[in-house]
Amino acid sequence: MSIQLSYPVEVEKYLPEIIKKNYGKWVERKFHGPGIIEHVSETGDRVFTIKVALPPNARVSADTLEKFADLADKYGVGALRITMAGNVEFITTSLENALKIKEELEKLGFPVGGWGGALWGINTCTAFLTCQIAVVDAVSIGKAIGDALKPYFTGEIPLPAKLRIFISGCPSGCAGGIATDIAIVGMWGAPPRIREEVLPMCMPPPKALAKIPESQIFLVQVCPTGALTLRREGDKIKLTLIGEKCINCGRCKDNCDAFDYDPKDVGVAILVGGRMSNTGTGPRLARNLVPWIPANPPRYEEIVAIVKHVVEIWRQNAKPGERLGDFIERIGWPKFLEMVGVPKLAAEYMWMPDAARTYLLYRARGEVIFKGFRDAV
Amino acid sequence: MSAPPGLPSPDELLKKAEEYLKELEKGPWPSHVAEMRKTGYPLHVYGVGLVARKSPWGPSVVKTKRLTGVLARIARDWVPGGGEEVHFRVFNTPGKFYPTDYLRKLIKISRELGIGLIEAVGQTGAIVINVKGKDVADKMIDALREIGTDVGGSGDAIRELNACVGPALCEFALYDTLHWFVEFRKDKRIHDAITVPGLPYKFKIKFSGCPMDCARANRADLGFIGVWKGAPEVDQELLRKKIENKEVDVHELVAGCPAKAITWDETKKELIIDGSRCKKSMNCIRKAFPAIKPGKERRVAVVVGGGSKGRYGPKLGWFIGYLKPDEVKKAIDLTFKVIEPWDKEAPAKNRLGDYILMEGLYKFIEKAGIDLEDTPRIIEKLPDNVPYRVLPEEERKKYADFAEKIKQVVKV
Repeated sequence: MSIQLSYPVEVEKYLPEIIKKNYGKWVERKFHGPGIIEHVSETGDRVFTIKVALPPNARVSADTLEKFADLADKYGVGALRITMAGNVEFITTSLENALKIKEELEKLGFPVGGWGGALWGINTCTAFLTCQIAVVDAVSIGKAIGDALKPYFTGEIPLPAKLRIFISGCPSGCAGGIATDIAIVGMWGAPPRIREEVLPMCMPPPKALAKIPESQIFLVQVCPTGALTLRREGDKIKLTLIGEKCINCGRCKDNCDAFDYDPKDVGVAILVGGRMSNTGTGPRLARNLVPWIPANPPRYEEIVAIVKHVVEIWRQNAKPGERLGDFIERIGWPKFLEMVGVPKLAAEYMWMPDAARTYLLYRARGEVIFKGFRDAV
Repeated sequence: MSAPPGLPSPDELLKKAEEYLKELEKGPWPSHVAEMRKTGYPLHVYGVGLVARKSPWGPSVVKTKRLTGVLARIARDWVPGGGEEVHFRVFNTPGKFYPTDYLRKLIKISRELGIGLIEAVGQTGAIVINVKGKDVADKMIDALREIGTDVGGSGDAIRELNACVGPALCEFALYDTLHWFVEFRKDKRIHDAITVPGLPYKFKIKFSGCPMDCARANRADLGFIGVWKGAPEVDQELLRKKIENKEVDVHELVAGCPAKAITWDETKKELIIDGSRCKKSMNCIRKAFPAIKPGKERRVAVVVGGGSKGRYGPKLGWFIGYLKPDEVKKAIDLTFKVIEPWDKEAPAKNRLGDYILMEGLYKFIEKAGIDLEDTPRIIEKLPDNVPYRVLPEEERKKYADFAEKIKQVVKV
């Protein structure tokens, strides 16, 4: 049994006329200030795209989208493009119209910018808007960071190269993983607590449990470190969690609702220096800069301060065209940590070889580290 | 999730939630709360979640005619007032171009059957539309089908495909990403794998036109990235003109190459690029296009096993060979070759990358029967490593000829 879906499958149908005409014929691009790019075709046609930031998590109301559609009809070619980073691009054919669109958008309260040496956008996962496994609200962190870093997006303060920020509510990394310049990931901070009253929904019935080998239990399979095991207590078999083995990956919570946490343990990890593109030293995952700091809604002062601090260090010291990862590669991790002001962390990196690049292999309760860090910032 | 300890009384909780929400409406960056105020989204649930520092949503189900792409949530019992949230993952158009008439139709549906809230792009690449309630879910699917799109791509199935804008708006695209994207969608087998969840875990397919990888294909379970072989093409005439006009700084070009493959011949005024050292970082091409262009020998590099969610954490993909830019049918066959051993052997909730880590890349390639241009393979045991063995006559002759040749070159 399968249902026939009706997909959008014709490329031609959705392309604006001018793009259809110049499909695959583009030869050049020019920058016209922050947020406006001119594409030149070999046929001589010129197209201007204007990039505008959406609210975190790309959440827009129908009213706003309608206003966008009106703008695209009035000044543009009657089409919008949504980018992978959660921005919207307007397409038009003259620079005057492009500037008009920019002006109108800024009147509506949407910043225009984000190309070349600038902040390209902030991606966040859905977190508390819909998700049931997120431990911090990535969306409001995105808003707080956006407020603080807006001058970098609109080009008021130019950056050496592209900067992109992903904010995920839990280690699943739904906001685009950790292969980015600055990744902020919600951390459990402490091993989860099992809610006994909900657990039976995810386990085989008690009678069957005695017969099934441990390795066949779904929740035991799911745990990557073997922290979830079966223990015999009298004549009862129970699922137990060995706290020392837990790395807070959140996979158990992902697959069963019976795992809970105490909000006071929860924080975020900040990872820096990743990249997806093959420019510079090539694609890589970000490395752990701060393993744990608290996330205090609604303004998240601690996180914003650290992110701004890291961006400023990079802006003031990097060569033109050098992304954050390349900059750290050039000066070396110990030097970078010294610049950020976390000498204690530098010592930790001594025994943390490659493991340090993924947060999944590393857990910290963080109070001590954070205190030193906040003083430094 | 149970109620966090020390939660204030319901009235106080709602009051505090409102305070938090008001705080999030301030500031120069566009606010999601301000947007959601214009819609029917149950904002008090979100606010309570912020105050409690716990996700206010719990699992729920909605029965529709679709097996994938439909997600429902219900507020936890400690949220005063309660609330529910149903949303659809709707397929995006190729290249994510939205003509305004199509966009207006989408807005109309969102207002009539939804709550007027749209997430323009989810991380899968789909557009997410909130639905008014469980009872109108099927109606919404019909309405979306009428305008030529559909709902799907969640759970343990192939997720929404994702392609960069490609030749539609970018001069660097090395193959037609949108054409590949559409051909994949049209294929019956891919279609079935999207509609019916039957794989061990999610499976994402992405298409990037050039090594800059805007669609983040290197992070997908199966990624196709446009590359070329050898050195970039240099139009010396045009480059000289660009240098004269001060559009290109040639010394910066040489110094900026991460592979140090570029040299500048000052006397002849020529740029020489060593193709064997070129890392395809696009540095020179970006700075001097179209004087420096990607090489003529175009290929599509296939990478497998990336992803951020999975048993062994975030990882980048492994390269498994090249396809030609017109071999899209072969790419679709390859997709199922890659899926087959993983689907058969991997335990539940293991991504393809986790399976490859367990099996080893070479064993996986052998099991999947992948045979592409430049596919990495195990070399059984290098003959040079075995000093003692009987060499056949023809092999001895080869070495004798080789020695003879060297003798003539070196001249002892």
